[in-house]
Amino acid sequence: MMNQDNFMVIKTILDWVNVFFIIYLIGYSSFLFLAVVVGSSELYNKRHKEELKNTLLQNYYVPISIIVPAYNEEVTVVETVKSLLSLEYTLYEIIVVDDGSKDTTSQKLIEAFDMKPIRRPIHRKISCQPEEFVYESVSEKVPLTLIRKKNGGKADSLNMGINACKYPYFICMDADSVLQYDSLTKISRPLLEQGNIVAVGGVVRPANSVTLDQGRVLNYQLPSNILACMQVLEYDRSFLASRILFDKFNGSLIISGAFGLFKKDTVIAAGGYDHSTMGEDMELVVKLHEYCAMNEIPYCIKYATDAICWSQAPERLRDLCKQRKRWHLGLFQSMWKHRVMLFNAKFGAVSFVSFFYFLLYELLSPFIEIFGVVTMVTAFIFDLINIPFMFLFFAIYAVFGCILTLTAFFARTQTIDLKISVMDALKAILLCFIETTFLRFIMAFVRATAFIGYKKKKLNWGRIERKKINVK
Amino acid sequence: MKVEILIYAYLAVCVSMILFNIVCIFVFRRKDKNIKKRSIDFTDIIEEQLDKQTVDETHKSFLRKKLKKINHMMAFDETLEKLYDRRPEDTQKYIANLCSVFVFLTFKYSEKNQIQAAYFPYIIKKYHVFKGVSIPIVQESLMELVKEQNLYCRENALQALYSIGGADSVIQALKTLDKAGSFHHGKMIADGLLCFSGPIDELSEKLWMNFNKFSIALKQAILDYFRFSSGRHSEKMLQLMIDDKENQELRFSAIRYFAKYHHEPAQAHLYSLATDDSPIWEYRAIAASALGNYPAEKTEILLKELLCDPNWHVRYNAADSLERLGVRYEEMIDIFEGRDRYAAEMLRYRFDRKKLKDTEGMPV
Repeated sequence: MMNQDNFMVIKTILDWVNVFFIIYLIGYSSFLFLAVVVGSSELYNKRHKEELKNTLLQNYYVPISIIVPAYNEEVTVVETVKSLLSLEYTLYEIIVVDDGSKDTTSQKLIEAFDMKPIRRPIHRKISCQPEEFVYESVSEKVPLTLIRKKNGGKADSLNMGINACKYPYFICMDADSVLQYDSLTKISRPLLEQGNIVAVGGVVRPANSVTLDQGRVLNYQLPSNILACMQVLEYDRSFLASRILFDKFNGSLIISGAFGLFKKDTVIAAGGYDHSTMGEDMELVVKLHEYCAMNEIPYCIKYATDAICWSQAPERLRDLCKQRKRWHLGLFQSMWKHRVMLFNAKFGAVSFVSFFYFLLYELLSPFIEIFGVVTMVTAFIFDLINIPFMFLFFAIYAVFGCILTLTAFFARTQTIDLKISVMDALKAILLCFIETTFLRFIMAFVRATAFIGYKKKKLNWGRIERKKINVK
Repeated sequence: MKVEILIYAYLAVCVSMILFNIVCIFVFRRKDKNIKKRSIDFTDIIEEQLDKQTVDETHKSFLRKKLKKINHMMAFDETLEKLYDRRPEDTQKYIANLCSVFVFLTFKYSEKNQIQAAYFPYIIKKYHVFKGVSIPIVQESLMELVKEQNLYCRENALQALYSIGGADSVIQALKTLDKAGSFHHGKMIADGLLCFSGPIDELSEKLWMNFNKFSIALKQAILDYFRFSSGRHSEKMLQLMIDDKENQELRFSAIRYFAKYHHEPAQAHLYSLATDDSPIWEYRAIAASALGNYPAEKTEILLKELLCDPNWHVRYNAADSLERLGVRYEEMIDIFEGRDRYAAEMLRYRFDRKKLKDTEGMPV
């Protein structure tokens, strides 16, 4: 039997834990709420502006190099390059970097585009593994280059692409993604609208069940696979919510590796992509913040809400877990490497809002959530929990989360003129409950266990099953 | 405060957001429908005027009344777009007769918020409403928009001024823009000037006359415009290029100009820039690129020397220029077999690439 003193100690601890969780949840709810309100109003405002031609309508083209790092992408790489060749943009080049694939990635490209070997000198401004061969094609509408190099990871491949590209801005993207026909115009527009821009993030949308023709959406519907469908909702929430809000104060810390535009000179000056982290995309953006702020270079990192890249979302739980583990480890590595940015006045709002948010609500959240479950079990054992209130609280939390997700989802589909069927709308409503109440917790567990055995997979590409995007 | 109250409050606002979304769906649909309906109404009314080949006063006052509302203006825009496709000449004549209506609307739209105000110059530009007609009140209103913080107000107003075609008003607008100090990308200015619909020579002359009154960023945009427009600015560009005291970015622009337009007197200066031993390598790199437009034995010798330059970009441009000059492989044997590996590999790449291009161009 536990004595009264011990019981009081446990009760006091649980009381304090309660206070912590209340503050934590209020903070999170307030942030999400603010982010969704700001995000949706921004989208509606943008639509209104476009209707009244408050947009750049002429063909103001900024030359862009598209870098496609590829590793064992024989299934998708040819389609990806074909889709890039059909982009509606005048001045760009495509550079595919084959990171020593074990399959026929390079051969497929060489055959499909009738590429020829060439001895091309590459200006090594950032370190990367040596090239094995270079192929070029001059028969396509824009220059197409294939560089096959010794295996060194995705960051290393991107660095090779940066070394080889000739234009002042480059886009990094995944070899299994498809850019929407107008995505280059849209992602480069902020460069003309504002000075000092060093990076622009695009929107990544799951392409499962979407049919594309020459980069145009022919048919949009929610994926039949439940897991992919829930990711659509999740992507919309996170892209609309946090990224638009952070964009308001130049606080974006993530530009997806699947679609982002960068100023080459600044990236080179900052040291390029880091080979040693898994989240090279986040690391680069955080590094750009640090580099520019430390060197007192005026800079801006923007987010283009209408520049769209279609990508395959994992349809198997195992693949999704792998992906999320990588993301979480990447987040940890980036934040640890640039920990100087936390609560440092030199970095302003990026430090006190974005960095702190990512620390508390992204990096530590799985541990905090699991700690919450353990606390509940402990409280239950000691009969210190009000069960009806707990269920009520859960229900409110679930409804709150769902409404925010749905707001984000409908605001997005509506403002980019994607028509969804009534069935899809109902499906979204149903699945957002499952996503909030189950998937989130599974993912919290997955992310909390991400560190187990991470040294072994530090530099691998984190393969997930590849499927072709439905391109006509 | 109890946590539940806060959560319930958030829920209430979220539900309002869902309602807002639903309302938005209906508002957007209704708005689209209304614009289509109005556009159909406009089509009938305007076609009647097109058939008559004149615009009567009743119609003008009808337009004055309607077009001051933004939704009607959008429908009018949609209608004109369709009519332009079907009856371009009649529609252009019709618009030319609407000057007085648009002067009236200039006042109305200058009172609107910036988003709506930016739509009006867009319409002026799109349909060349005041093309070749100088109406001070319209130009003053456009000049006010050029001062605005909103980029689209500025850009649409500039576009309208380019379409009207008055050189003086464009110069004045550029000065106003410069004075306002807001960021306006040089590419937009250079591309915009290329759309100028008035006398180009007059515009060029006035741009040069006022050149020293502009900021460096604007000067650069203007030089880009000259480079894209014509080769008639060689003398002035040469003065810029050889002036040691001039801003280096402007001098770079001038060198680029001579890469595009051959100008004999520039050749000797390009040689000296290409051998410039200052730490600013850009002079050598850009001059090396420009020399590809100046075939001569001395040019080839100089470019071969530049292939051994310590700077990568200088070597790259020199190799590129040698290829453009049509230097044959045999003439470059000394480089290929020489001790400078960088020079050899750079040149080999250019030659291989040329061969690749030539093969692609050959019939199978």
